[in-house]
Amino acid sequence: MRKLYLLIWILLFTSFLKAQDNNGPRITALGNAGVALQDVWSVKNNQAGIAGLLKPIVAAGYENRFGVKELSTQAAVFSIPIKDYAIGAAFNSYGVSDYREIKTGLTLAKSFGPKLFLAVGLNYHQLKISNYGNSNAFSIDVGLQYNAFPKLWLGSHISNPNQARYGENTDQIIPTHIQFGANYIFSEQLLITTELEKILDAQADFKAGIEYKLIKFVALRGGISVNPFKQFAGFGLNYQRVNIDFAVASHPVLGYSPQVALGYEF
Amino acid sequence: MSFKTKLLLLFFFLLCSKISFAQQTDDPVIEYIIESVAANQTEDYDYSELIDRLNFYKRNKINLNKTSKEQLQELIFLNPLQIDALFEHISLNGSLVNTLELQSISGYDLETIKNLLYFADINTPTGFENFSFNKLFKDGKNDLLIRYSRYLEQQRGFSSASNTSSRYLGTPERVFTRYRFSYSNNIQFSLNLEKDAGEKYWNSNNGQTGPDFSSASLYIKDLRKIKKLVIGDYSLQFGQGLALWSGLSFGKGADIFSVVKPNIGLKPYTSINEFSYFRGIATQVNFGKLDFTPFFSYNKIDAGLALNPLTNLEEISTLQQSGLHRTLSELKNRRRISQMVFGGNLQYNYRKLSVGLTGYHSNYSQDFAPGKSLYNQFDFTGSSLNNVGLNYSYTLNNTYFFGEFAHSLNSGVAYINGLITSLSPIVSAVLFHRNYQKDYYSFYNQGIGEGSTAVNEKGFFAGLQLKPDRKFELDFYTDLFKFPYLKFRVDAPSTGYDIFSQLSYTPNKTTRLTLRYQFQNKQQNDDIPTFVNTLSFVKKSNYRADLLYQINKSFALRNRIEMVQYQEENKTNRYGFLAYQDIIYSPLSSRWSGNTRLALFDTDGFDTRIYAYENDVLYGFSIPGFQNKGIRYYLNARYNLKRGIDIWLRYSLTQYNNQQTVGSGLDEIDGNLRSEAKLQVRFQF
Repeated sequence: MRKLYLLIWILLFTSFLKAQDNNGPRITALGNAGVALQDVWSVKNNQAGIAGLLKPIVAAGYENRFGVKELSTQAAVFSIPIKDYAIGAAFNSYGVSDYREIKTGLTLAKSFGPKLFLAVGLNYHQLKISNYGNSNAFSIDVGLQYNAFPKLWLGSHISNPNQARYGENTDQIIPTHIQFGANYIFSEQLLITTELEKILDAQADFKAGIEYKLIKFVALRGGISVNPFKQFAGFGLNYQRVNIDFAVASHPVLGYSPQVALGYEF
Repeated sequence: MSFKTKLLLLFFFLLCSKISFAQQTDDPVIEYIIESVAANQTEDYDYSELIDRLNFYKRNKINLNKTSKEQLQELIFLNPLQIDALFEHISLNGSLVNTLELQSISGYDLETIKNLLYFADINTPTGFENFSFNKLFKDGKNDLLIRYSRYLEQQRGFSSASNTSSRYLGTPERVFTRYRFSYSNNIQFSLNLEKDAGEKYWNSNNGQTGPDFSSASLYIKDLRKIKKLVIGDYSLQFGQGLALWSGLSFGKGADIFSVVKPNIGLKPYTSINEFSYFRGIATQVNFGKLDFTPFFSYNKIDAGLALNPLTNLEEISTLQQSGLHRTLSELKNRRRISQMVFGGNLQYNYRKLSVGLTGYHSNYSQDFAPGKSLYNQFDFTGSSLNNVGLNYSYTLNNTYFFGEFAHSLNSGVAYINGLITSLSPIVSAVLFHRNYQKDYYSFYNQGIGEGSTAVNEKGFFAGLQLKPDRKFELDFYTDLFKFPYLKFRVDAPSTGYDIFSQLSYTPNKTTRLTLRYQFQNKQQNDDIPTFVNTLSFVKKSNYRADLLYQINKSFALRNRIEMVQYQEENKTNRYGFLAYQDIIYSPLSSRWSGNTRLALFDTDGFDTRIYAYENDVLYGFSIPGFQNKGIRYYLNARYNLKRGIDIWLRYSLTQYNNQQTVGSGLDEIDGNLRSEAKLQVRFQF
């Protein structure tokens, strides 16, 4: 009964939002306000962010929603800098064998000096529902980040501007959305990030997150999103080249969604 | 009325109001402090105790070199990290030699220092050094204040047409007499006498005679091992207010640090709230790192009684908190039951650690009747209750941890844990989690939460304060709350959240712009008539802009615009609007000072009412809520007759559009306006 209730919720509410896509535990713990951040998981949020990374990084993560096994996501991301460019790849799989959504993305990012990053991404979407069939689609992303003041980064991102969709026979939507936001770095220990997101045919959302480095290799994070109201928390551990990040999202009605990821910097 | 016309009207007021009124103001520093903590309080809450306290310290300044944590906490605007930082500074560098030193303490910005030095200094005399009774009467300060106020229109309860069973038996004026004697910071005597409108000057019922409300206390401080001693009326405030907290407390407000309660302990009770205080004797004795506070109280309180048909005994159906005794039935319930409370608190303080243990027993002369509805099934029954509580606070580097665990014996528990942390010189954060069970009982419970008491609630609060420089300040919080059991008008477990943000810009000492946005989403019964009530979400958004600026040495102006939007599922949105213009006249050298306000309000009823703080005569306080349509006007004037004698006058008027009557029940007035006059005289000698 509980699962049915949840499924109705998920299908009614979150399916036409960008919910199945997973931003990785760092950005999630920051309330998903990642549009102005530079992180390997930016490849799934605002691709321009990977232009700010100095080394190749690979990471993989797992997310479970509301304690329901069937509502889980596996994701992997990769980025590599080549001179002024960066190339990124992302893979995201959501659902169970009877219902599965897979999104594979490739990104090309370029830095125009140290202050301006631009990126274009190409995504391949696959939807598979047992006894109904399969459907495929392509979508694109465009992202930008600008270092306006020494401590302030601004970011902007548009996803699926051409409103690509699966074939004629599915109602399943690939959301079109625009995000912009700012990331202010108060000190080496502390940053606060914000983002406004508008999804076409859905309500606008405001998100904010804070990251505080307790000591050099332990970061604590918290965030909120306003619409729908959710609270987020998480931490990150960094030991030499290995990163472990953990996040949990709390929805007032549906409950907790934990996620974890492991990253390696070459 | 469209928004545009309202704006035009506002400008019209601005032009008209240039006629120079010459009146008084309350203290702007105190007003600002109160408004920052009072954001979410209801209109009838009496803040006179806080105004009283701040005014006392303004006159008898705290000695920062000899003060205690408890005393600084009474100044509510200092957060625990700032208080600890001050003591750390003194223990490292010795006593403060110059007030400029405060600027070098972490967490002290200029605004805080300015406010602190308003109530404190570094070398004011304290203690019983060279004490003698001659000195007591020579150096002691007396303060006598008398206030008289009444509505100028007749309320229905006073008209001769009403029969005696449903009319006010007393006179329509409200009279308040306040006397204080203080010797340095060490001896205070307080006496308050009050009658409300409709009450008699002299009551004789239930075998008691006397003024309607009288309260007195004698307070002695720092007499050898006795840190505090109160004989008479007192309040007790321990931990985070779960187990034992009487008197003044604050909820969520613009000052995000005010959610953390200051562990003040014993205080004399000087307010005219006729509820939630102790009467008897209490003391705080110091044994080095331990402080012991035993107390005993016996009092009569107001209650409604009902006969239990099974036992044929009278049971308490309601405790009455209003303190109004105007009609026969209200007088019947006046001081109808007796209440005995005794217990103690043991507090251990070592450096930055503080742990307190509280235990007390309360006993009532009658049993509490079980709740009749489903939502109050878990309310307290019986006539006696034992409470215990454990509270702690600890400062580690830049973080202050606090919490309390409370238990009512043989029933539920309640606990809260949280922290305040200064993440960088610019950014501070407050987090706390709470869990209050539905069957946790305490008669002196004022734990922080969405509800006014710590019962039937779980929640998580996260707040952030950004102060990039001394001009800007941004406060932001979100609070998620869940009510695991039913509540009044909520027939199922429910949930909700609260988002608050405020930006203030202070370009110079006399100008301040404040922008505020608040959004609340809660569940309550929908009023669709079906067999069972179902819950629907109710959303309320609140927008406010406030501008205060000085135009010359004598005149300051203030404008506010506030809007409320109220959305209920399946209903049309309702809106509320309030705008006002203040003129504040406070010359440096004149016997006259004063202020005046013209406000316009236009709301779609009770749900969209808007609260606004009003200036009043000294120690007077009001945050009226405005609903329907109309105009509000008031004028305050203060005249300093001679040294030690001040006179205040206040006239206020509310005129409603398209209304035949104002108020309801016995308070109803024929016509569309209600006006009030107030006169107050103070003698200081």
